[in-house]
Amino acid sequence: MDLKTLKKQESKRKISKGYMWALFCAIFWGIWYLPGTVVWVLNPFDEMYATIAEVSGDGMSLVVTAVLITAFNALTVMLALMLWNGVLGKYGELGRTLKEFHPCSKWFFLASIFGGPMAILGSFIAMGFIGGAFAAVAGLLYPVIGSILAYYWYGEKISKRAVIGIGIIVLGGISIYGGGLLTELSSGNVPWIGYLGGLMAAAGWGIEGAIAGKGLDIAEPDAGLTLRFLGENIIWWIIIVPILAILGFPMYSFAFQVFEPLTMLILVFAGLTFGFCYVTWYKSFPLIGVGRGQGIGNLYGFCAVIFIFLFFGDIPDWTIIVGGLLCITGSFIMFTEDSSALETLRGE
Amino acid sequence: MSEKRPIKFRILEFFLDGKAYWNYEIVSKIQEEYGMKSSYGRDSINFDIIELASGGMLKDLEQKVDESGIYKKGFLLHRYKITDFGITRASDACLRGL
Repeated sequence: MDLKTLKKQESKRKISKGYMWALFCAIFWGIWYLPGTVVWVLNPFDEMYATIAEVSGDGMSLVVTAVLITAFNALTVMLALMLWNGVLGKYGELGRTLKEFHPCSKWFFLASIFGGPMAILGSFIAMGFIGGAFAAVAGLLYPVIGSILAYYWYGEKISKRAVIGIGIIVLGGISIYGGGLLTELSSGNVPWIGYLGGLMAAAGWGIEGAIAGKGLDIAEPDAGLTLRFLGENIIWWIIIVPILAILGFPMYSFAFQVFEPLTMLILVFAGLTFGFCYVTWYKSFPLIGVGRGQGIGNLYGFCAVIFIFLFFGDIPDWTIIVGGLLCITGSFIMFTEDSSALETLRGE
Repeated sequence: MSEKRPIKFRILEFFLDGKAYWNYEIVSKIQEEYGMKSSYGRDSINFDIIELASGGMLKDLEQKVDESGIYKKGFLLHRYKITDFGITRASDACLRGL
């Protein structure tokens, strides 16, 4: 085989690998909304919600319960990732990366602030207050924030084609988002906290992706993302959960009740799907860039709607179907990008 | 240097002398330093180099077919050089504390 053919083949392999990771991310991410929605009706979280609601009101109760759910989500993700790093033989690299706080791991801890208390908490709030399908599609705007930040902050190239693709995905998101909102506006009963949760998810994940890209420049994604979840666990279990307990919320008494088989199973399922959605998400960035990685990963919105339909039988509105089709179209416009433009992702 | 640094840091360090290196040269050095002699270790280090290149920190100067099997027979060998962006990022990360 001649040099030119080999070169072409190799570049194609690299880019298709990047897109494959991003597509797997979309599937895992979409599945995550199943355990994420179910966990709200399981002990101890349903009891916790009812108990706190009696004293502090529905809104406060929902946020506090979402904090505990998110904290457990972070814990099971961390377990899944430790297993993953063990399989890959990367504990050594993990330790080495952790020690480089100043140049490197600080970015992952910073990413965890936006990813955890903003994006994931926001998603759980949206799931609890409005529902899984809404929570999934509400986050669809995040690639826009991610791409714009990556463009201005570290000069990542975004081709015209990618911009068009992202634009169409966003239109799809708006269609899915807007349908439900219009119905609720006409009935006069809008669950604003849930919508706020959706916005937190979009902004949080967009910012997280752009920040994480900065650290990923010089770290291995598997190590980097484990550190990002180490950061999130510290935020929940060492800072926020104890503070809420001091404020008088029954955090620990309910936390100790999660050891019921079904609750544990659902939490572990959430950890595995979310953990691997992150593994694949982070792996796609160095190969195809933050903007594209996030764009294809965005198909999770459509995956979630399908999974929720299959498992819970919720039939989506036509606005959701139109939006989902737009998401797929947009992602495919990015997908079929000429590979030669992707050889170097950044300007020199 | 008493303690090992993350592999990508070490790769960038090699390139900081401004010279161009073939991927197999770097891969074999890292394999030795970090005790990653398996072919899984080799591929994983090479993937780190690919990631650094797609991140714009290394520039792929030329390629040749690995006829002799010095790295992987029948596959492409790449020769890289550090970019200005790579020097900036490497200086942030690698030179501190050395």
